[in-house]
Amino acid sequence: MDIFVDNPMLQGVRQMLGAFAAKHIRAVAGLHDREESMPWALMKMAQGFGMSQTAVVDGRKALTGKDDEAGAGKPSSQARLGVVGSEELAYGCAGICLAIGGSGLAASPVARMGTDEQKQEFRRLLKGEDEHGRIRVAAMALSEPATGSDISGLATTARADGDHWVIDGSKQWITNGASASAYVVWAQTDAAAGRSGVRGFLIGRGTPGLVPGRKETKLGIRASETAQVHFEGCRVHKDMMLGVGQSSVGLGDTKKMLDSTRPMVGAQAVGIARAAFDFLLERVQGGTLHGTPMAHHQRIAFELAEMEMEITAARLLVHRAAWMADHHQDNVRMASMAKAYGARVAQDVTARALTLLGDEALEPGHPVEKWYRDAKIYDIFEGTGQIQRRIISRSLLGVNPT
Amino acid sequence: MLAPMDFALDDEQALIVQTVRRFVDKDVRAWAADADRAGAAPDRLFTVGPDLGFFVDALTEADGGLLDGGYAHLTRALRGLELGRGCAGIAALLETNVEPALAVTRWGSPAARAALLPALAAGGLATTGRDARGRLTVVGDGDGGVRITGRVGPLPALARASHVLLVARLGDEPVLLLVGADGAGVEREALIPSGWRAAAWGALTCKDALVPADHVVARGAAAATAIDSVLAWYRTSLAARAAGVAVAAMEHARAYAAERVQFGQAIGRFESLIRLRDDADTGAAAARLMALHAAWLLDRATDDTSLARAADAASRARVFAGDVVGRATIDAVQIFGGYGFVNDYPVEKLMRDARAFEQLIGDERHDRILALKGAS
Repeated sequence: MDIFVDNPMLQGVRQMLGAFAAKHIRAVAGLHDREESMPWALMKMAQGFGMSQTAVVDGRKALTGKDDEAGAGKPSSQARLGVVGSEELAYGCAGICLAIGGSGLAASPVARMGTDEQKQEFRRLLKGEDEHGRIRVAAMALSEPATGSDISGLATTARADGDHWVIDGSKQWITNGASASAYVVWAQTDAAAGRSGVRGFLIGRGTPGLVPGRKETKLGIRASETAQVHFEGCRVHKDMMLGVGQSSVGLGDTKKMLDSTRPMVGAQAVGIARAAFDFLLERVQGGTLHGTPMAHHQRIAFELAEMEMEITAARLLVHRAAWMADHHQDNVRMASMAKAYGARVAQDVTARALTLLGDEALEPGHPVEKWYRDAKIYDIFEGTGQIQRRIISRSLLGVNPT
Repeated sequence: MLAPMDFALDDEQALIVQTVRRFVDKDVRAWAADADRAGAAPDRLFTVGPDLGFFVDALTEADGGLLDGGYAHLTRALRGLELGRGCAGIAALLETNVEPALAVTRWGSPAARAALLPALAAGGLATTGRDARGRLTVVGDGDGGVRITGRVGPLPALARASHVLLVARLGDEPVLLLVGADGAGVEREALIPSGWRAAAWGALTCKDALVPADHVVARGAAAATAIDSVLAWYRTSLAARAAGVAVAAMEHARAYAAERVQFGQAIGRFESLIRLRDDADTGAAAARLMALHAAWLLDRATDDTSLARAADAASRARVFAGDVVGRATIDAVQIFGGYGFVNDYPVEKLMRDARAFEQLIGDERHDRILALKGAS
């Protein structure tokens, strides 16, 4: 938190979410991991203090009670707010953090590109409860079976038909894909136009031709639902195309949006690493090895020292990237560095913690084993580690290495 | 002087490797995903396994097994590599009887042999554990036996095993015990951890559980040799199986990378992914050789000096293979990308399976440091 010490609002958010994570998230994290179920009750509780599914569309006021102070050229605190909150929630459980924030993935493009009518429609689709009495959530449907890292080759098409677009294709690895009430779907409207032909569409659950697909069984982040979504002649009114009437929006803007979320993703990875580190630290402080305090073993103590260095460095990268975003500086390289390094540290710290804990961590439901599984996704989603290194090296060298 | 090392397999070893590889490719890999989801090995394993010589390979012919002469750890390591390629959980079951059978045959009392060996010959299982952190309370019963309080495990095969060959300490004295899994003061619990889910894991909660004097397999001066041997056998087997899992991870990753196209080319052509595969392949090859070398030394360990050398090689092999399998499986998931994270593809299971190789019977790196510290 070093660079935020002068910001009482960020400190307050950190304390509030930290307490929420410690008291409420940790209490059910194992259950939702084991059952691979969404934490609906917690998601509803999170809404109670401003973390609503439409918060991104509603703006910063929803969470902080204040309008964003950023005027023209003035610093914001939006990005720092995001990383501070993300680390705390992921410290509780990364899967639950993603379940609480998952709708934000769909809300971001609506907030950035949506018309007032589309924003209103988004809010309407997420209002109240669904048929199961659960809060409503949204899904951003971008990735496809054949396009993971390379999002320029989308196969899902949108064909104009009178006042409508007709969407066909399948989406893969979609957060909230099976349960969403609102979907933001990306489809190619003009194959000849390449990336600029890719546009987003806002579609409500129950629209004919929108078929939520199979829920995936995953290695980690099991409290966050991941599913396929299929579109079979799905008709959506032309007014629901994001950026309608604007010429230079589409996939390029989506990529910018992904750039903006990377510090938060890096922060979540830091939260996982810190969770494992704190667990191990407590064990070492209280544990003995054949009668000798574990803390007296230099090898173990130095492993903790290494982890502390790595976690602190990762957090500083995350904070730096967020600070740059809040100060309207180009943070693309820093954001990728924060995300890639955070992912590496989370994987490294959780794996080392498992080794040091030994057979204790073989017990079913051991939290560090869960964090080890959760950590891996941070090197894959929102741009793999390879994609981040591609971005970083391109910014250094000016070319795309193969 | 040791004979020059020969890298060629003899006819028997080649036949065993070929047979086990066929079994792995045809059956074990076909069972692996379902066994992982179910948290249990298929019943067929316990009918096919004995036909292939598993479970009773370390029992002498006199005791109803297949062993005629000395046990061949090199052959076991070779087959362990193949089994690791198939399924770490199933491999753990197939290998579980070796240490208890060899140790009790060699150092056990007639009563211990009578308790264990016929049970194994009849298709039973035993497993091996170590109180690596000194968590168990072990006290003498005044009659040559000991009483144990605390938790033993989680250990693979313990949900089905009749006995645990347990490495523990009685005060400052190392002891090797044969603990009945169903004795008085022992409560058994079946477990399904995240990795090796097919391996019939279990744990024992012992409350003043008696291990009678004739089930104390080794104590005093004899215990050091017995325990060093048991741990060296176990470590070598773990190392071989871990290397096999690393090989499997890269087999899957290579096949996927050749098919998956992103940015206009098969992802296997991207230099960063070639580097991941190459490092993992190199690590797996080295881990394999270290495991085989340790096994080769074990087969030639005839005195304390040669046993110490073999034990050191086994420990190094286990440390190295643990690192290699951890890295290789994480990198295999990375190469698969989003598909690597979901259960439809084999590599996420391998990543879960990788950890137990480092977690069982103690933190190898730490053990080595303590041993070297004591020797310095």
